[in-house]
Amino acid sequence: MNDDLQKRIQQALANPQNLGELADADAVGTVGNSDCGEMLRMWVKFKQQDGKKVIDRATFQSFGCETAIAVASLATELIRGKTAQEALALKTEELAGELGPLPPMKIHCAQLVEGALRSALEPEKIQEKKPQTSAGPTLLENFSRPKDGVKIEFLE
Amino acid sequence: MREVLEVFPGAQRALFRKYHIGGCSSCGFSPDETLAQVCARNGNLSVDEVLSQIQSSHEQDAKILISPKELAELLRGDKSVKLVDVRSREEFEAVRIENSVLLSQPVMQQLMSSGSNSEPIIVIDHAGKNGLDAAAYFIGHGLQNVRCLRGGIDAWAREVDPKMRRYRIG
Repeated sequence: MNDDLQKRIQQALANPQNLGELADADAVGTVGNSDCGEMLRMWVKFKQQDGKKVIDRATFQSFGCETAIAVASLATELIRGKTAQEALALKTEELAGELGPLPPMKIHCAQLVEGALRSALEPEKIQEKKPQTSAGPTLLENFSRPKDGVKIEFLE
Repeated sequence: MREVLEVFPGAQRALFRKYHIGGCSSCGFSPDETLAQVCARNGNLSVDEVLSQIQSSHEQDAKILISPKELAELLRGDKSVKLVDVRSREEFEAVRIENSVLLSQPVMQQLMSSGSNSEPIIVIDHAGKNGLDAAAYFIGHGLQNVRCLRGGIDAWAREVDPKMRRYRIG
């Protein structure tokens, strides 16, 4: 990750916006899980404005990396005042806003935010998108699968 | 992907380090998928570029490894080194390197939230089998200074601390 991007992330993290649960939210979406070390949950509250139902406020909680928190902070500001359709039309890179282009290894952070937003705003489509094929072993499983009942034999 | 992994055992680590593919269930791939299919559903990555990453996976893995003697030297001079042990609790309680921590969910979240933290993290396993996967997982999440103890704690016992008891899993 280059230094410029790191600075922009640190700037976003210095004053993260919309952090925490939104008690009277109209929609909630979650992606990832804490076992993976990454989870992002987003709450969305709507209001009526000029005859349209627009996002009044969106908040988030994250167990994840700094970049995901920075993107979520910027994205929840970006979608304020937009309809659900307008928010869903935003591309992954647009959600990252002023962070600018993310390197390949960090694009998933913006995708995590996009996924949480989609999960909140169109949960039925998230269900449809679940992979049809069974996934193979993952790195996480390789090193963190349960090791109950391990029996140790000391060597002489 | 099954054939790719057979030919290049480090392919999954290379994919995750660079593209965040194959690390957990959210970004995993099926053994029955082709490399082109995996690339296509991950932002239309260039298959040639990804293949080049995979072909250099062995060299990339080698760069992450740190020998037991190098680690001993590092620990003498740098107190910020974090030793993360990915073995089972039973193994950890039986033998461990001083000041190491057992990987748990809270430790994992702490590591992830440290983001670009460049303080050195050394992954320790039993005999060098799973540590590289853990190191690749942390690197793929943006941690910048992660290495893996070559040969695991068994090599540490042989090369650095002969008083440490060696063991096998029964």
